[in-house]
Amino acid sequence: MFEQWRTDEDMSHGFLVPIVILWIVWRERERFRTLPTQPTWWGLALLASAAGLQFVAALGVGLFAGSLAFLVSIAGAVLCLGGFAWLRAAAFPLALALFMLPKLAIVYNQTTLPLQLLASRIAAGILTGAGIGVIREGNILDVGGHRVAVVEACNGIRYLLSLGFIAVVLGYLADSKTWMRLALLVAAIPVAILANGLRVAAAGWLPSLEAGTPHLIAGWFIFVACMATLILVRQLFNKAYVHYRS
Amino acid sequence: MNKLTVLLFWAMFSFCLKAQITLGSTVDTFGVLAGSTVTNSGPTVVLGNVGVSPGTAITGFAAIAPGGPGVATGVIHSADAFAGTAQTQLTAAYNAAAGLATTSTVAGDLGGLTFAPGVYTSTSTLGLTGTVTLNAGGNPNAQFIFQIASALTTAVGSTVVLTNGAQASNVYWQVGSSATLGTSSFFSGNILAFSSISLGTNATLQGRALARNGAVTLLSNTINTPAGQSGPPPPLVTPAPSSLILVSTALVGIFIYQGRKKILKPFRTC
Repeated sequence: MFEQWRTDEDMSHGFLVPIVILWIVWRERERFRTLPTQPTWWGLALLASAAGLQFVAALGVGLFAGSLAFLVSIAGAVLCLGGFAWLRAAAFPLALALFMLPKLAIVYNQTTLPLQLLASRIAAGILTGAGIGVIREGNILDVGGHRVAVVEACNGIRYLLSLGFIAVVLGYLADSKTWMRLALLVAAIPVAILANGLRVAAAGWLPSLEAGTPHLIAGWFIFVACMATLILVRQLFNKAYVHYRS
Repeated sequence: MNKLTVLLFWAMFSFCLKAQITLGSTVDTFGVLAGSTVTNSGPTVVLGNVGVSPGTAITGFAAIAPGGPGVATGVIHSADAFAGTAQTQLTAAYNAAAGLATTSTVAGDLGGLTFAPGVYTSTSTLGLTGTVTLNAGGNPNAQFIFQIASALTTAVGSTVVLTNGAQASNVYWQVGSSATLGTSSFFSGNILAFSSISLGTNATLQGRALARNGAVTLLSNTINTPAGQSGPPPPLVTPAPSSLILVSTALVGIFIYQGRKKILKPFRTC
Protein backbone atom coordinates (compact mmCIF):
# COMPACT_ATOMS: atom_id res chain seq x y z
CA MET A 1 0.00 0.00 0.00
CA PHE A 2 2.81 2.36 0.97
CA GLU A 3 4.44 1.84 -2.43
CA GLN A 4 1.16 2.64 -4.19
CA TRP A 5 0.64 5.80 -2.12
CA ARG A 6 4.18 6.83 -3.06
CA THR A 7 3.96 6.11 -6.78
CA ASP A 8 0.29 6.65 -7.72
CA GLU A 9 -0.80 10.28 -7.47
CA ASP A 10 -4.47 9.18 -7.42
CA MET A 11 -3.72 7.37 -4.16
CA SER A 12 -1.17 9.63 -2.45
CA HIS A 13 -3.86 10.80 -0.01
CA GLY A 14 -3.37 7.34 1.53
CA PHE A 15 -0.60 8.87 3.67
CA LEU A 16 -3.19 11.13 5.33
CA VAL A 17 -5.85 8.48 5.94
CA PRO A 18 -4.11 6.72 8.89
CA ILE A 19 -3.38 10.13 10.45
CA VAL A 20 -7.05 11.15 10.22
CA ILE A 21 -8.13 7.74 11.61
CA LEU A 22 -5.75 8.06 14.57
CA TRP A 23 -7.03 11.58 15.20
CA ILE A 24 -10.65 10.36 15.18
CA VAL A 25 -9.82 7.52 17.59
CA TRP A 26 -8.07 10.03 19.89
CA ARG A 27 -11.09 12.35 19.63
CA GLU A 28 -13.38 9.49 20.63
CA ARG A 29 -11.10 8.24 23.40
CA GLU A 30 -13.64 8.97 26.18
CA ARG A 31 -16.25 6.90 24.36
CA PHE A 32 -13.79 4.00 23.96
CA ARG A 33 -12.94 4.15 27.69
CA THR A 34 -16.57 3.60 28.69
CA LEU A 35 -17.10 0.64 26.37
CA PRO A 36 -17.56 -2.80 27.98
CA THR A 37 -14.81 -5.27 27.10
CA GLN A 38 -16.35 -8.58 26.10
CA PRO A 39 -13.88 -10.61 23.99
CA THR A 40 -15.51 -13.07 21.60
CA TRP A 41 -14.27 -16.04 19.61
CA TRP A 42 -16.00 -14.62 16.54
CA GLY A 43 -12.90 -12.46 16.20
CA LEU A 44 -10.88 -15.57 15.43
CA ALA A 45 -13.28 -16.39 12.58
CA LEU A 46 -12.65 -12.93 11.12
CA LEU A 47 -8.90 -13.35 11.58
CA ALA A 48 -9.05 -16.75 9.84
CA SER A 49 -11.01 -15.31 6.91
CA ALA A 50 -8.47 -12.45 6.68
CA ALA A 51 -5.67 -15.01 6.58
CA GLY A 52 -7.53 -16.89 3.81
CA LEU A 53 -7.97 -13.68 1.84
CA GLN A 54 -4.29 -12.85 2.28
CA PHE A 55 -3.37 -16.34 1.08
CA VAL A 56 -5.53 -15.96 -2.04
CA ALA A 57 -4.02 -12.48 -2.61
CA ALA A 58 -0.51 -13.94 -2.37
CA LEU A 59 -1.45 -16.49 -5.05
CA GLY A 60 -1.89 -13.62 -7.47
CA VAL A 61 -5.39 -12.22 -7.00
CA GLY A 62 -3.89 -8.82 -6.32
CA LEU A 63 -2.87 -6.03 -4.02
CA PHE A 64 -6.44 -4.96 -3.25
CA ALA A 65 -7.38 -8.33 -1.77
CA GLY A 66 -4.19 -8.34 0.35
CA SER A 67 -4.89 -4.84 1.64
CA LEU A 68 -8.52 -5.71 2.37
CA ALA A 69 -7.27 -8.73 4.32
CA PHE A 70 -5.20 -6.33 6.43
CA LEU A 71 -8.34 -4.33 7.35
CA VAL A 72 -10.38 -7.49 8.05
CA SER A 73 -7.60 -8.74 10.32
CA ILE A 74 -7.70 -5.43 12.29
CA ALA A 75 -11.49 -5.83 12.64
CA GLY A 76 -10.90 -9.43 13.79
CA ALA A 77 -8.35 -8.33 16.38
CA VAL A 78 -10.73 -5.64 17.72
CA LEU A 79 -13.53 -8.21 17.98
CA CYS A 80 -11.24 -10.77 19.60
CA LEU A 81 -9.92 -8.40 22.26
CA GLY A 82 -12.81 -5.98 22.82
CA GLY A 83 -16.01 -7.55 21.55
CA PHE A 84 -18.89 -6.33 19.41
CA ALA A 85 -19.29 -2.98 21.21
CA TRP A 86 -15.68 -2.12 20.35
CA LEU A 87 -16.12 -3.23 16.76
CA ARG A 88 -19.24 -1.04 16.42
CA ALA A 89 -17.32 1.92 17.82
CA ALA A 90 -14.41 1.26 15.46
CA ALA A 91 -16.67 0.76 12.43
CA PHE A 92 -16.37 4.35 11.21
CA PRO A 93 -12.55 4.57 11.38
CA LEU A 94 -12.36 1.15 9.69
CA ALA A 95 -14.75 2.26 6.95
CA LEU A 96 -12.63 5.37 6.47
CA ALA A 97 -9.62 3.11 5.97
CA LEU A 98 -11.24 1.83 2.74
CA PHE A 99 -10.06 5.08 1.16
CA MET A 100 -6.43 4.08 1.61
CA LEU A 101 -6.80 0.71 -0.13
CA PRO A 102 -5.30 0.38 -3.62
CA LYS A 103 -7.67 0.89 -6.52
CA LEU A 104 -9.47 -2.31 -7.47
CA ALA A 105 -7.99 -2.91 -10.94
CA ILE A 106 -11.08 -4.48 -12.53
CA VAL A 107 -13.33 -1.63 -11.36
CA TYR A 108 -10.76 1.00 -12.32
CA ASN A 109 -10.31 -0.47 -15.81
CA GLN A 110 -14.09 -0.71 -16.28
CA THR A 111 -14.80 2.86 -15.18
CA THR A 112 -11.87 4.67 -16.76
CA LEU A 113 -13.19 4.90 -20.33
CA PRO A 114 -16.81 5.79 -19.38
CA LEU A 115 -15.47 8.50 -17.05
CA GLN A 116 -13.17 9.83 -19.79
CA LEU A 117 -16.12 10.02 -22.20
CA LEU A 118 -18.36 11.58 -19.54
CA ALA A 119 -15.74 14.25 -18.78
CA SER A 120 -15.46 14.94 -22.53
CA ARG A 121 -19.25 15.26 -22.88
CA ILE A 122 -19.55 17.56 -19.84
CA ALA A 123 -16.64 19.73 -21.03
CA ALA A 124 -18.18 19.99 -24.51
CA GLY A 125 -21.53 20.92 -22.92
CA ILE A 126 -19.93 23.61 -20.74
CA LEU A 127 -18.04 25.09 -23.71
CA THR A 128 -21.14 25.01 -25.94
CA GLY A 129 -23.19 26.60 -23.14
CA ALA A 130 -20.60 29.35 -22.86
CA GLY A 131 -20.92 30.06 -26.57
CA ILE A 132 -17.56 28.55 -27.49
CA GLY A 133 -17.57 26.34 -30.59
CA VAL A 134 -16.41 22.81 -29.89
CA ILE A 135 -16.46 19.54 -31.82
CA ARG A 136 -16.28 16.35 -29.77
CA GLU A 137 -15.07 13.06 -31.24
CA GLY A 138 -15.13 10.47 -28.50
CA ASN A 139 -12.64 11.68 -25.91
CA ILE A 140 -11.17 14.35 -28.21
CA LEU A 141 -12.30 17.97 -28.05
CA ASP A 142 -11.56 20.31 -30.91
CA VAL A 143 -11.91 23.93 -29.77
CA GLY A 144 -11.24 26.12 -32.77
CA GLY A 145 -8.42 23.89 -34.00
CA HIS A 146 -6.96 23.39 -30.53
CA ARG A 147 -7.34 19.67 -29.85
CA VAL A 148 -7.54 18.32 -26.31
CA ALA A 149 -7.40 14.61 -25.61
CA VAL A 150 -9.13 13.58 -22.39
CA VAL A 151 -6.67 10.81 -21.57
CA GLU A 152 -6.80 8.24 -18.80
CA ALA A 153 -5.16 10.58 -16.26
CA CYS A 154 -8.03 13.07 -16.79
CA ASN A 155 -10.80 10.59 -15.96
CA GLY A 156 -11.62 12.30 -12.64
CA ILE A 157 -10.90 9.34 -10.36
CA ARG A 158 -8.52 11.55 -8.38
CA TYR A 159 -11.24 14.12 -7.69
CA LEU A 160 -13.76 11.37 -6.90
CA LEU A 161 -11.54 9.61 -4.35
CA SER A 162 -10.29 12.82 -2.74
CA LEU A 163 -13.70 14.50 -2.53
CA GLY A 164 -15.36 11.27 -1.36
CA PHE A 165 -12.89 11.02 1.52
CA ILE A 166 -13.35 14.69 2.39
CA ALA A 167 -17.16 14.35 2.27
CA VAL A 168 -16.99 11.52 4.81
CA VAL A 169 -14.67 13.50 7.12
CA LEU A 170 -16.82 16.64 6.78
CA GLY A 171 -19.95 14.60 7.51
CA TYR A 172 -18.33 13.13 10.61
CA LEU A 173 -17.18 16.51 11.96
CA ALA A 174 -20.10 18.69 11.02
CA ASP A 175 -23.10 16.43 11.50
CA SER A 176 -24.20 13.62 13.74
CA LYS A 177 -27.06 12.60 11.44
CA THR A 178 -26.31 9.41 9.49
CA TRP A 179 -28.49 10.45 6.54
CA MET A 180 -26.57 13.72 6.22
CA ARG A 181 -23.23 11.88 6.19
CA LEU A 182 -24.51 9.56 3.45
CA ALA A 183 -26.05 12.47 1.54
CA LEU A 184 -22.74 14.32 1.56
CA LEU A 185 -20.92 11.25 0.24
CA VAL A 186 -23.50 10.80 -2.53
CA ALA A 187 -23.39 14.54 -3.36
CA ALA A 188 -19.61 14.37 -3.70
CA ILE A 189 -19.93 12.09 -6.75
CA PRO A 190 -21.73 14.50 -9.15
CA VAL A 191 -19.76 17.45 -7.75
CA ALA A 192 -16.44 15.70 -8.51
CA ILE A 193 -17.56 14.60 -11.98
CA LEU A 194 -18.83 18.07 -12.90
CA ALA A 195 -15.68 19.69 -11.51
CA ASN A 196 -13.51 17.42 -13.63
CA GLY A 197 -15.55 18.32 -16.70
CA LEU A 198 -15.05 21.99 -15.84
CA ARG A 199 -11.30 21.41 -15.53
CA VAL A 200 -11.19 19.81 -18.98
CA ALA A 201 -13.33 22.62 -20.42
CA ALA A 202 -10.91 25.19 -18.97
CA ALA A 203 -7.98 23.38 -20.59
CA GLY A 204 -9.85 23.33 -23.90
CA TRP A 205 -10.81 26.98 -23.75
CA LEU A 206 -7.44 28.34 -22.62
CA PRO A 207 -4.51 26.41 -24.14
CA SER A 208 -2.20 27.97 -21.51
CA LEU A 209 -4.08 25.93 -18.86
CA GLU A 210 -3.45 22.66 -20.67
CA ALA A 211 -0.06 21.87 -19.16
CA GLY A 212 2.45 22.62 -16.47
CA THR A 213 2.00 24.83 -13.41
CA PRO A 214 -1.10 26.76 -14.65
CA HIS A 215 -2.81 23.38 -15.21
CA LEU A 216 -1.98 22.30 -11.65
CA ILE A 217 -3.10 25.61 -10.14
CA ALA A 218 -6.38 25.51 -12.09
CA GLY A 219 -6.96 21.96 -10.88
CA TRP A 220 -6.29 23.04 -7.28
CA PHE A 221 -8.66 26.03 -7.46
CA ILE A 222 -11.42 23.90 -8.95
CA PHE A 223 -11.01 21.41 -6.10
CA VAL A 224 -11.27 24.22 -3.55
CA ALA A 225 -14.50 25.25 -5.32
CA CYS A 226 -15.67 21.62 -4.96
CA MET A 227 -15.07 21.84 -1.21
CA ALA A 228 -17.05 25.08 -1.01
CA THR A 229 -19.86 23.45 -3.01
CA LEU A 230 -19.93 20.51 -0.60
CA ILE A 231 -20.21 22.86 2.39
CA LEU A 232 -22.98 24.74 0.59
CA VAL A 233 -24.79 21.47 -0.13
CA ARG A 234 -24.60 20.60 3.58
CA GLN A 235 -26.09 23.96 4.55
CA LEU A 236 -28.86 23.59 1.98
CA PHE A 237 -29.69 20.09 3.25
CA ASN A 238 -29.72 21.42 6.82
CA LYS A 239 -32.04 24.29 5.94
CA ALA A 240 -34.38 21.91 4.10
CA TYR A 241 -34.33 19.56 7.10
CA VAL A 242 -35.08 22.38 9.58
CA HIS A 243 -37.87 23.65 7.31
CA TYR A 244 -39.30 20.13 7.05
CA ARG A 245 -39.18 19.61 10.84
CA SER A 246 -40.88 22.92 11.55
CA MET B 1 43.66 -18.29 -31.04
CA ASN B 2 41.63 -19.61 -28.14
CA LYS B 3 41.63 -16.18 -26.53
CA LEU B 4 40.38 -14.65 -29.77
CA THR B 5 37.56 -17.21 -29.96
CA VAL B 6 36.54 -16.47 -26.37
CA LEU B 7 36.63 -12.73 -27.08
CA LEU B 8 34.44 -13.12 -30.18
CA PHE B 9 32.03 -15.36 -28.31
CA TRP B 10 31.80 -12.83 -25.44
CA ALA B 11 31.19 -9.97 -27.88
CA MET B 12 28.34 -11.90 -29.54
CA PHE B 13 26.91 -12.87 -26.17
CA SER B 14 26.99 -9.24 -24.99
CA PHE B 15 25.35 -8.12 -28.24
CA CYS B 16 22.57 -10.65 -27.72
CA LEU B 17 22.03 -9.48 -24.15
CA LYS B 18 21.76 -5.86 -25.24
CA ALA B 19 19.60 -6.61 -28.30
CA GLN B 20 17.07 -3.87 -28.84
CA ILE B 21 14.00 -4.05 -31.05
CA THR B 22 12.75 -0.96 -32.78
CA LEU B 23 9.61 -0.50 -34.80
CA GLY B 24 10.02 1.59 -37.92
CA SER B 25 9.13 5.27 -37.97
CA THR B 26 5.99 4.56 -40.04
CA VAL B 27 4.55 1.62 -38.13
CA ASP B 28 5.29 3.57 -34.93
CA THR B 29 2.41 5.92 -35.75
CA PHE B 30 -0.22 3.15 -35.91
CA GLY B 31 -2.36 2.08 -33.00
CA VAL B 32 -4.01 -0.55 -35.16
CA LEU B 33 -2.61 -2.18 -38.30
CA ALA B 34 -4.02 -5.27 -39.97
CA GLY B 35 -3.21 -7.42 -43.00
CA SER B 36 -6.75 -8.21 -44.11
CA THR B 37 -9.45 -6.18 -42.27
CA VAL B 38 -10.04 -3.87 -39.31
CA THR B 39 -13.51 -4.31 -37.84
CA ASN B 40 -14.87 -2.24 -34.99
CA SER B 41 -18.11 -2.31 -32.98
CA GLY B 42 -18.89 0.17 -30.20
CA PRO B 43 -17.26 3.43 -29.09
CA THR B 44 -13.64 2.45 -29.60
CA VAL B 45 -11.01 5.15 -29.26
CA VAL B 46 -7.65 4.71 -30.99
CA LEU B 47 -5.04 7.31 -30.13
CA GLY B 48 -2.99 6.97 -33.32
CA ASN B 49 -3.38 5.86 -36.94
CA VAL B 50 -5.52 2.94 -38.07
CA GLY B 51 -4.52 1.05 -41.19
CA VAL B 52 -4.79 -2.05 -43.30
CA SER B 53 -2.57 -3.50 -46.04
CA PRO B 54 -2.71 -5.43 -48.35
CA GLY B 55 -6.40 -5.79 -47.43
CA THR B 56 -8.68 -2.81 -47.85
CA ALA B 57 -11.63 -3.07 -45.45
CA ILE B 58 -11.85 -0.84 -42.38
CA THR B 59 -15.31 -0.69 -40.83
CA GLY B 60 -16.87 0.86 -37.72
CA PHE B 61 -14.94 4.15 -37.62
CA ALA B 62 -16.47 7.61 -37.97
CA ALA B 63 -13.81 8.84 -40.36
CA ILE B 64 -14.37 6.23 -43.07
CA ALA B 65 -17.51 5.24 -45.00
CA PRO B 66 -20.01 3.94 -44.02
CA GLY B 67 -19.08 5.45 -40.66
CA GLY B 68 -19.36 4.05 -37.18
CA PRO B 69 -18.96 4.74 -33.49
CA GLY B 70 -15.16 4.31 -33.45
CA VAL B 71 -12.81 7.28 -33.29
CA ALA B 72 -9.17 7.44 -34.36
CA THR B 73 -7.18 10.54 -33.45
CA GLY B 74 -4.80 9.82 -36.30
CA VAL B 75 -5.38 9.07 -39.98
CA ILE B 76 -7.15 6.06 -41.51
CA HIS B 77 -4.91 4.35 -44.08
CA SER B 78 -6.63 1.79 -46.26
CA ALA B 79 -4.20 -0.09 -48.52
CA ASP B 80 -2.21 3.03 -49.32
CA ALA B 81 1.55 3.34 -49.62
CA PHE B 82 1.88 4.48 -46.00
CA ALA B 83 0.13 1.37 -44.71
CA GLY B 84 2.24 -0.76 -47.09
CA THR B 85 5.46 0.71 -45.66
CA ALA B 86 4.15 0.10 -42.15
CA GLN B 87 3.51 -3.57 -42.99
CA THR B 88 7.04 -3.93 -44.35
CA GLN B 89 8.45 -2.43 -41.15
CA LEU B 90 6.17 -4.66 -39.08
CA THR B 91 7.50 -7.77 -40.83
CA ALA B 92 11.08 -6.64 -40.17
CA ALA B 93 10.33 -5.98 -36.46
CA TYR B 94 8.48 -9.31 -36.16
CA ASN B 95 11.41 -11.23 -37.64
CA ALA B 96 13.91 -9.33 -35.49
CA ALA B 97 11.91 -10.11 -32.32
CA ALA B 98 11.55 -13.77 -33.32
CA GLY B 99 15.27 -14.08 -33.96
CA LEU B 100 16.53 -12.82 -30.60
CA ALA B 101 18.38 -15.16 -28.28
CA THR B 102 16.24 -16.20 -25.37
CA THR B 103 16.87 -15.23 -21.76
CA SER B 104 14.46 -17.73 -20.30
CA THR B 105 11.56 -19.96 -21.26
CA VAL B 106 7.97 -19.46 -20.12
CA ALA B 107 4.96 -21.72 -20.37
CA GLY B 108 1.29 -21.90 -19.50
CA ASP B 109 0.04 -18.82 -17.71
CA LEU B 110 1.91 -15.64 -16.83
CA GLY B 111 -0.55 -14.65 -14.05
CA GLY B 112 1.11 -13.70 -10.76
CA LEU B 113 4.62 -13.61 -12.25
CA THR B 114 7.08 -10.71 -12.34
CA PHE B 115 9.59 -10.35 -15.16
CA ALA B 116 12.86 -8.45 -15.41
CA PRO B 117 13.90 -7.07 -18.81
CA GLY B 118 14.81 -9.83 -21.25
CA VAL B 119 13.70 -12.16 -24.00
CA TYR B 120 11.21 -14.82 -22.92
CA THR B 121 10.26 -17.73 -25.13
CA SER B 122 7.18 -19.91 -25.11
CA THR B 123 7.24 -22.96 -27.34
CA SER B 124 3.47 -23.26 -27.36
CA THR B 125 0.46 -21.09 -26.47
CA LEU B 126 0.70 -18.56 -23.66
CA GLY B 127 -2.06 -17.27 -21.39
CA LEU B 128 -2.56 -14.54 -18.82
CA THR B 129 -5.00 -14.77 -15.93
CA GLY B 130 -4.81 -12.09 -13.23
CA THR B 131 -1.79 -9.81 -13.22
CA VAL B 132 1.68 -10.04 -14.72
CA THR B 133 4.25 -7.45 -13.68
CA LEU B 134 7.08 -6.17 -15.88
CA ASN B 135 9.73 -4.54 -13.71
CA ALA B 136 12.27 -2.39 -15.55
CA GLY B 137 14.42 -1.87 -12.44
CA GLY B 138 14.54 1.88 -12.99
CA ASN B 139 15.74 1.69 -16.60
CA PRO B 140 13.16 3.35 -18.92
CA ASN B 141 14.92 1.86 -21.97
CA ALA B 142 14.64 -1.72 -20.72
CA GLN B 143 12.90 -4.02 -23.18
CA PHE B 144 10.68 -7.01 -22.55
CA ILE B 145 10.26 -9.34 -25.51
CA PHE B 146 7.94 -12.33 -25.41
CA GLN B 147 8.38 -14.84 -28.24
CA ILE B 148 5.24 -16.96 -28.41
CA ALA B 149 5.24 -19.84 -30.88
CA SER B 150 1.48 -20.08 -31.01
CA ALA B 151 -1.48 -18.09 -29.61
CA LEU B 152 -1.60 -15.48 -26.85
CA THR B 153 -4.84 -15.38 -24.84
CA THR B 154 -5.65 -13.18 -21.84
CA ALA B 155 -8.51 -13.81 -19.42
CA VAL B 156 -11.33 -11.47 -18.43
CA GLY B 157 -10.01 -8.56 -16.35
CA SER B 158 -6.36 -9.58 -16.64
CA THR B 159 -3.73 -6.85 -16.35
CA VAL B 160 -0.17 -6.20 -17.48
CA VAL B 161 1.43 -3.92 -14.87
CA LEU B 162 4.51 -1.87 -15.80
CA THR B 163 6.68 -0.87 -12.86
CA ASN B 164 9.96 0.87 -12.10
CA GLY B 165 10.10 2.82 -15.35
CA ALA B 166 8.91 0.11 -17.73
CA GLN B 167 7.44 1.64 -20.90
CA ALA B 168 4.66 0.13 -23.00
CA SER B 169 6.62 1.12 -26.11
CA ASN B 170 9.44 -1.20 -24.98
CA VAL B 171 7.28 -4.29 -24.53
CA TYR B 172 6.90 -6.64 -27.51
CA TRP B 173 4.63 -9.64 -27.81
CA GLN B 174 5.71 -11.59 -30.91
CA VAL B 175 2.82 -13.97 -31.46
CA GLY B 176 3.23 -16.92 -33.85
CA SER B 177 -0.48 -17.15 -34.63
CA SER B 178 -3.24 -14.96 -33.11
CA ALA B 179 -3.70 -12.84 -29.99
CA THR B 180 -6.97 -12.54 -28.06
CA LEU B 181 -7.42 -10.05 -25.21
CA GLY B 182 -10.18 -10.87 -22.73
CA THR B 183 -13.13 -8.67 -21.82
CA SER B 184 -12.15 -5.67 -19.67
CA SER B 185 -8.51 -6.68 -19.66
CA PHE B 186 -5.75 -4.07 -19.49
CA PHE B 187 -2.84 -4.98 -21.73
CA SER B 188 0.45 -3.19 -22.28
CA GLY B 189 2.90 -3.49 -25.15
CA ASN B 190 3.16 -3.89 -28.89
CA ILE B 191 1.39 -7.01 -30.15
CA LEU B 192 3.12 -8.23 -33.31
CA ALA B 193 0.89 -11.07 -34.48
CA PHE B 194 1.49 -13.30 -37.48
CA SER B 195 -2.27 -13.76 -38.01
CA SER B 196 -5.05 -11.85 -36.27
CA ILE B 197 -5.72 -9.86 -33.08
CA SER B 198 -9.08 -9.68 -31.24
CA LEU B 199 -9.82 -7.36 -28.35
CA GLY B 200 -12.69 -8.31 -26.03
CA THR B 201 -15.37 -5.84 -24.98
CA ASN B 202 -13.95 -2.85 -23.08
CA ALA B 203 -10.39 -4.20 -23.20
CA THR B 204 -7.74 -1.47 -23.01
CA LEU B 205 -4.47 -1.69 -24.89
CA GLN B 206 -1.62 0.58 -23.88
CA GLY B 207 0.41 -0.11 -27.00
CA ARG B 208 -0.27 -1.26 -30.56
CA ALA B 209 -2.27 -4.02 -32.22
CA LEU B 210 -0.24 -4.96 -35.30
CA ALA B 211 -1.32 -7.97 -37.35
CA ARG B 212 0.77 -9.04 -40.33
CA ASN B 213 -1.70 -11.17 -42.31
CA GLY B 214 -5.05 -11.38 -40.54
CA ALA B 215 -7.72 -9.12 -39.11
CA VAL B 216 -7.87 -6.82 -36.10
CA THR B 217 -11.25 -6.96 -34.37
CA LEU B 218 -12.24 -4.27 -31.85
CA LEU B 219 -15.19 -4.09 -29.41
CA SER B 220 -15.54 -0.81 -27.47
CA ASN B 221 -11.83 -0.58 -26.76
CA THR B 222 -9.29 2.07 -25.90
CA ILE B 223 -5.96 1.84 -27.69
CA ASN B 224 -3.45 4.32 -26.40
CA THR B 225 -0.49 4.34 -28.75
CA PRO B 226 2.76 5.22 -26.96
CA ALA B 227 5.43 7.28 -28.67
CA GLY B 228 8.00 4.93 -30.17
CA GLN B 229 11.74 5.25 -30.24
CA SER B 230 11.59 6.88 -33.65
CA GLY B 231 8.13 8.40 -33.26
CA PRO B 232 7.10 11.80 -32.03
CA PRO B 233 8.20 12.85 -28.54
CA PRO B 234 5.77 11.92 -25.76
CA PRO B 235 3.21 14.61 -24.91
CA LEU B 236 3.66 16.79 -21.86
CA VAL B 237 2.40 15.17 -18.70
CA THR B 238 -0.52 17.28 -17.52
CA PRO B 239 -1.74 15.76 -14.29
CA ALA B 240 -4.16 17.32 -11.84
CA PRO B 241 -2.58 18.05 -8.44
CA SER B 242 -1.88 14.85 -6.53
CA SER B 243 -4.61 13.65 -4.18
CA LEU B 244 -2.20 14.32 -1.27
CA ILE B 245 -2.22 18.04 -2.11
CA LEU B 246 -5.99 18.08 -2.73
CA VAL B 247 -6.90 16.27 0.49
CA SER B 248 -4.38 18.28 2.59
CA THR B 249 -5.91 21.51 1.30
CA ALA B 250 -9.43 20.25 1.93
CA LEU B 251 -8.61 19.10 5.49
CA VAL B 252 -7.21 22.54 6.30
CA GLY B 253 -10.40 24.02 4.79
CA ILE B 254 -12.60 21.76 6.93
CA PHE B 255 -10.78 22.70 10.13
CA ILE B 256 -11.07 26.40 9.28
CA TYR B 257 -14.78 25.89 8.54
CA GLN B 258 -15.31 24.02 11.80
CA GLY B 259 -13.39 26.59 13.85
CA ARG B 260 -14.81 29.64 12.06
CA LYS B 261 -16.66 30.88 15.17
CA LYS B 262 -13.46 30.83 17.25
CA ILE B 263 -11.46 32.41 14.44
CA LEU B 264 -13.98 35.20 13.88
CA LYS B 265 -14.66 35.85 17.59
CA PRO B 266 -11.90 38.50 18.13
CA PHE B 267 -13.14 40.44 15.09
CA ARG B 268 -16.74 40.39 16.35
CA THR B 269 -15.85 41.70 19.84
CA CYS B 270 -14.08 44.66 18.24
